[in-house]
This record gives sequence, C-alpha cells and structure tokens, in this order.
Amino acid sequence: MAKFKSALMASAVSLSLGVTYSATAAQAEPLNVYTYDSFVSEWGPGPKLEAAFEAQCNCDVNFIAVDDGVSILNRLRVEGKKNKADVIVGLDDALIEETRATGLIADHKVKLPALRTELNWQDKQFVPFDMGYFAFIYDSSKIAEPAKSLRELIDSDASVIYQDPRTSTPGQGLMMWVESVYGDDSEAAWKQLSEHTVTVTKGWWEAYSMFLEGGADYVLSYTTSPAYHVVVEEKTNYKAAPFSEGHVAQVEVAAVLNTSKQPELAQQFVQFMVSPEAQQILPVTNWMLPVAQGTELPEIFSRLADVDRIGFSSEEVAEKRKSWIREWRSAAAK
Amino acid sequence: MLVIALLVLTGNIAVSVLAFQGLIGFSGQGADLSIFSDSYFWGVLSFSIKQAVLSSVLSVVLAWPVARGLYFLPVLRGQQSFLQLCLLAFVMPTLVLITGLVVLFGRSGWLLPVLPDDWNLYGLHGILLAHIYLNMPFAIRMLRQQYNNIPDPAWRLALQLKLTGWQRFLHIEWPVLRPVLIMLLGFVFILCFNSFAVVLALGGGPQATTLEVAIYQALKYDFNIPEALSFAWTQLGIAGLLFLVLYRNGSGGWLSVDLPQSQWRPSPGKWTKGVYMCLYLLVWLFMLLPLVSLVFQAARNDLMSFDYLALLQPLMMSVGLGVIAACMAVVIGYLLLLPIREARYRGMRRRQWLMEWLATHTLIAPAMVTSVGLYVLLLPEVDLDEYGLLLVALLNTLAVVPFVVQQLRPRLLQYDMQYDQLVRNLKFSPLLRLRIEIPYLRQVLINAFALGLLLAIGDVAIFAIFGHQDLITLPWLIYSYAGTYRMSEAAMASLVLLLVCAGLMKLFVVQKPLQKATDKI
Repeated sequence: MAKFKSALMASAVSLSLGVTYSATAAQAEPLNVYTYDSFVSEWGPGPKLEAAFEAQCNCDVNFIAVDDGVSILNRLRVEGKKNKADVIVGLDDALIEETRATGLIADHKVKLPALRTELNWQDKQFVPFDMGYFAFIYDSSKIAEPAKSLRELIDSDASVIYQDPRTSTPGQGLMMWVESVYGDDSEAAWKQLSEHTVTVTKGWWEAYSMFLEGGADYVLSYTTSPAYHVVVEEKTNYKAAPFSEGHVAQVEVAAVLNTSKQPELAQQFVQFMVSPEAQQILPVTNWMLPVAQGTELPEIFSRLADVDRIGFSSEEVAEKRKSWIREWRSAAAK
Repeated sequence: MLVIALLVLTGNIAVSVLAFQGLIGFSGQGADLSIFSDSYFWGVLSFSIKQAVLSSVLSVVLAWPVARGLYFLPVLRGQQSFLQLCLLAFVMPTLVLITGLVVLFGRSGWLLPVLPDDWNLYGLHGILLAHIYLNMPFAIRMLRQQYNNIPDPAWRLALQLKLTGWQRFLHIEWPVLRPVLIMLLGFVFILCFNSFAVVLALGGGPQATTLEVAIYQALKYDFNIPEALSFAWTQLGIAGLLFLVLYRNGSGGWLSVDLPQSQWRPSPGKWTKGVYMCLYLLVWLFMLLPLVSLVFQAARNDLMSFDYLALLQPLMMSVGLGVIAACMAVVIGYLLLLPIREARYRGMRRRQWLMEWLATHTLIAPAMVTSVGLYVLLLPEVDLDEYGLLLVALLNTLAVVPFVVQQLRPRLLQYDMQYDQLVRNLKFSPLLRLRIEIPYLRQVLINAFALGLLLAIGDVAIFAIFGHQDLITLPWLIYSYAGTYRMSEAAMASLVLLLVCAGLMKLFVVQKPLQKATDKI
C-alpha cells in the first residue's frame, strides 16, 4: 500500500484528508469508498481520480481513509453488514482470500481491458488497478556494488530498514520473499537479517524517510520508487537492486460490496479504476505500474529494473500468513 | 451523594467491563492460551518487565543523589525553576520529548559525533532515555519532599551523638525514604510498563515490544482478538498485582505542592558539595537539551511563511478535549472518594483498599484494550465518524481519574481527620458539607484539574483508535510529522505544545505553602 505518498513534500496535514465535499444536488447519497490514507493525500491519486470520476458520473465521491490495506479488511470484519462502504480500494492480492471470506464482496461484472500478461487475472470479485514489485532501494552514489540476490543481502552486514509484516504490505511482501527463497530455513534467515537491521517500522513511509535521511544502506520499497526521484526530484542516484531469485509482486485491487445501496454507481467506479484515464493518473501519483496494457508512461518507467516474479497465490498466503508472522516475530525478536 | 458516587464508580468499572465484553463477545471466545507456548510472548513479556525495571530503577537511583543535593544545599541557584521543570517533564506530552530525542540522538542527530559508533536510538536505548527523562524528575521531587519531612531535632540529636555519616543515613534518612522508595519504584514501573507512545515511536520492531504495544498490534493489524486478550490479561495481572501490593505498603502524595521547608540541616563537606553541584548541573543539562534542541530545529523552518494556522485547529482541539476530560475527571474523582472516605470513617480497612483500587484501576487496565474493546463493541452500533470524539473525551477522562484521585485523596483524608466528626455531629446537608470542603480543597482541586488537563492534552493512544481524520489533535499532528521525518515541522509543533503546557502549568499549579489554605477554614 505504501507509495510515494505525496512524497517528500506531503504535509502531514494533507493526511487529514484532502477530500473536497463537492456536494452535487443530483445524488443525495455520496459514493463511499474505503481506502488507505496516503491514497487520498494531497499528492496521492485520490483527489485527481475523484475529480475525473465526478466529471463523468454526476455524483459525489466520499473517501473514508484508514491506515492501510490491512485496516480496510479489519474495519470490514468489525462492521460486518453495517459497513458504510460502496467500494473498497487498496487491498492487495495477498489479502484477497481473507477479504472474500467476510462474505461482503459482490461480483464485479467489470469489463476488464487487456491486462499485463503476467497478471493472468481470473478473479470474479476483485479488480486489479495497479501493481508493483518489492525491491531493496539503495543510493548508488554510496554503494557501487549492490547485493545481487536476497541471500547475498541477508549474508552481508549492510544496514537494512524494512517494515513490519503485520502492519504494512511491503513488510508482508518481504515475508513472502524470504519464505519463497529460504523455505524451511526462513527462521535462520530472519535471525541473520535481524543482526543488521536498523529498525522495523510501522509503515512504508517511516522507513523510506529514514532511509533518505541516511539511516541505512538499503530500504525495502518498490522497483518503481526510483521513478519518483527522477520525475519529481530529477535525482538519478536512487536505484532498485535486481535480485537473481526474482521478486515478489503486489497487485492492488478494488471491489464492490454486496451491501452497497448504489451497486450500479459502485460498479461504474471500479470500471473507472481500469479506464485509460485512471491508469494514466495512478503511476505518477501512486508510483506503481499500471495494470492495463498500452498505458502511456513517463520515459523513466521503461528504464526501471526488469525482474522475474516469484511468490505465492493468495490462497497460500491466506492459509500460511499467520504461521509465517509467528515465525518472523519469534525469530526477529531475539 | 453517596448513591451518586457509587453510581459513578459502577459506571467507571462498567466501561472497563464493557470493553472486555466487546473483545470477548466479538470473537466469541476467550483468551488464546496457545500463545503461552509461543516464544514471542515470552520475549515480549520479558522485554516489558526488563525495560520497566531498568527504567524505574535508573530513574529512582539517579534521582536520589540529586534530591539529596537539593536538600542539603538549599542555596543551589535556580532550585524553584528546577522543580518546576521537573514537574513539567513529568506531565509533558510524550511526543514533545520524542521529537527532541530524535533531533538529538536520531539517525542524523546533533549528538551523533559524540555517541558510540553502534549507537541506535531505536530500541532499548531510546526507550530508557525517554522513560528516565519523563520519570526521574518526578522521583527527584518526591524524594526531596521526603527529605523535607525530616524534623530538625533529628539532625541536632545526630550531631550531639556524634553519629557518622553512615549512621545518620541509616537512622535518619533511610526510615523516611524507605516507604517512598518502594512506592516510587512501583509507580514508575507501572507507568513504564504501560507506556505506549514511547515504545511505539522508539521501539524499532519485535526486539523491543512491550505488552501494551503488542496488544495494539494484535488488534489493529492481525485482528487477532484472542491473542490480544492474552496479552491484555497478562498486562492487567502483573500491573494489578503490583498496584495492590503498593497500595498496601506505599504512601505519599504524588505531585503535592511543596511543604514549607524545615529550617536546619547539617552542611555537607566541600567535596560532597562539589559532587552535588556537578550532578545538579548535569541534570539541568539533560533536561534542557531536548527542549532547547526543539527551538533550534524549529528555527530551521522559514519562520515568515510557516503555516502557523495549521497548528491552531489541532491546538484548540487538544485543549478543548483536555478541558472537558479534566473537568469531568475532577468531578468523578471527588465522587469516587466519597465511598472511600466513608469506609475509612467506619474503619473498614479492607473495603477502603478495594474501593481505592477500583477507583484507580484505569491506571492499570490498558488504555489500548479499553479503547479497542469499546471500538469493537460500538462500531456496528454507533457512527464513530460522528461520535468518536465523544469517546476520546470519555476515555481520556477515565485515564486521568486515577491521577486526580491521588491528588485529592491526601487532602480530603486530612480534612476528614480534622472536621469530619464535627460535621457529622452537626448533621449538615451534603451540599452544605461541600460548601465547607471547597475552600479547603481549592488549591488541590485546581492542581488536580491542571494535571488532568496536561495529561489529557498529551494523549496519543486513545486518539489513535477513536480519532477523527479532519479534527486532529496537536500530539497526533506531531506524530504524523515525526513519522514522516519532517523534523522541523515536528519541532515547531512540539514547541507550541510545550509552551502551552508550560503556560498552563504556570497558570494553575501555584507553589505555596499549604498552611495558609488551611487557616481559611
């Protein structure tokens, strides 16, 4: 979920919702969208998507923001059928099965455009809207020879900052990464990594800002992160290290709730998320890759590290997430 | 009156019970016992205890020589300001301090050149630093007060008997200090054991997690209620037991105003004087550094174009919530003391203990658990986006009630000893009784209100659960700034909050001898 929230200029005030309540008379009921906070920050995709969608629907979009993807799921679990959402935006593929299990998700009925082939998307309820590959970012002006594999990084003594897998989707991504590379030896790998971990932060943003302050050699983020530095700051020294084992992907999804009182409008919004217009907005505000083929992107996107995908299906994640987290926290706690 | 008081007490307990009910009812199961075989649980438990033991022992041990120095050298310059600063450090919003510590000791901190190479603020170091800063000054005040209770003749007698320094310590100082030391250690232990914001901000991952933070993580991120309950019961058990033990053994007002000084005490030798002076200066330095660093860090903003208005709304929000919570807490605190006084009058010691424990139980019932429990219970029923702030006010009230009770208790019991028998014999109506008590209590009521206000203004934990996105409080704003490493803005906001708290303290907490207040009755 973590992205270049409004990135380095975003004021925390913007976290207190950059939502404009443009009350149009046509719709008495606004369309309520549960999402995570950086999505609706001043510099995030929320405001632009809202303006674009409201221009075509004659309705009022109302974002309700929580901490992150995991919190969206938790809020739904607590509220059950009394939830206020018409649409949820910003869960990731690892959480799909647990979200489906709430029984609150409707079939999407969206006509999907041609998607990236590696997605191989078959889901009837969740619609992907952007994706990214987790990667370790380093400053090439300080490190000439970056680690070439996850094993090399874990065996080294380079200082690392990563995110808590219980609180943040990148952290969860690293967990899947370690599990797929090390399998039964994961516990030892975590112990080894904890020897040279500076800190484990609650969210992506804390980790990334600490890294930019010179807090560590490597930080866990996305292969797309360097694009932000090029496009917004014109800095080319931040790079993602490609790892030989392959990288774990994250696909962000949207879905319509079956408790919605405005199913057609909710449907329309999810359809809009994969429209060419929205797909253009997302990469340069959320700093992720578009899911639709043929989306025009700034030139830097073509020069990003090209990586192979490894990882687990969301069924496997749903089944094993708890035990992985237990393993991680016991190993990292020593 | 007594009936209302019992109702309030019941309400107070009911909130806690409901919170646990919310947790149990939601998951349809009790605590998760399998966690007790998980090494992570034992890791968290041992870290919680370790950091709380270290924090409390270090705070008290470091405070002792300073308090002694203050007592034996009444000529030390700036004592009054020092004591005020001590009080401020204790009631200061945690996030103000955390910002200061990050500016000084963080990854790009000012003091990095003089720190060891492997220094890392995140983890045990940072937690201890913050806890010592918050609690040592309070210990200094308490111990100094105890020293002031030593009667003059004791020293004169010691002089005549030619007691050695060690004997003097053993026979004069130790008996006065011992009960307070135990209470202090226990009290600071509980505060650090329940510490949330410090550990969340400076913890640095599973290696440095306390039960309180583990509860938060289990609930908010794993949504694993049974596990959170296991953590919560463990927390409640340990802190509650300790609290009971303390209540039976400890005594002493927590933040009471300074008593009039005793007049005569032996003068220490030259060497000792020098040591005291150095210590005194060191502690001054330690306490001022984080605050001064805020000023310099805040000055790095463009002061002309800084958006001061962005701080205004959160500030009003914090003060508003604080005032509501403090007012309610003072009323509730007074009412809760009625059955306690009644029990005391009738000589029912055991009932008195029980009542006192119940009145202050919110100090140990994890605020996190109460908040999340109510959150789970109410979310399907109530629109929390609308009414969340009411709950922030309510839960903050309950969180500061124990402090208010502790403020009022000694004064009220003193009043009872002097006038209660008389008032009862005259068969005054409850209202008339209240009118007699108010002048006697005035200063203590004001102090209790101010303390409640300051504590509620600094809240993060409760706001984290129930807060509103559009109406944030100032500590929350600082948290967002610091979380995104915008230290200059964080420092500016912290400075504003600090000045407001210092101003409120100056305004309300008047340091005057109690004698005058008692004469008026």
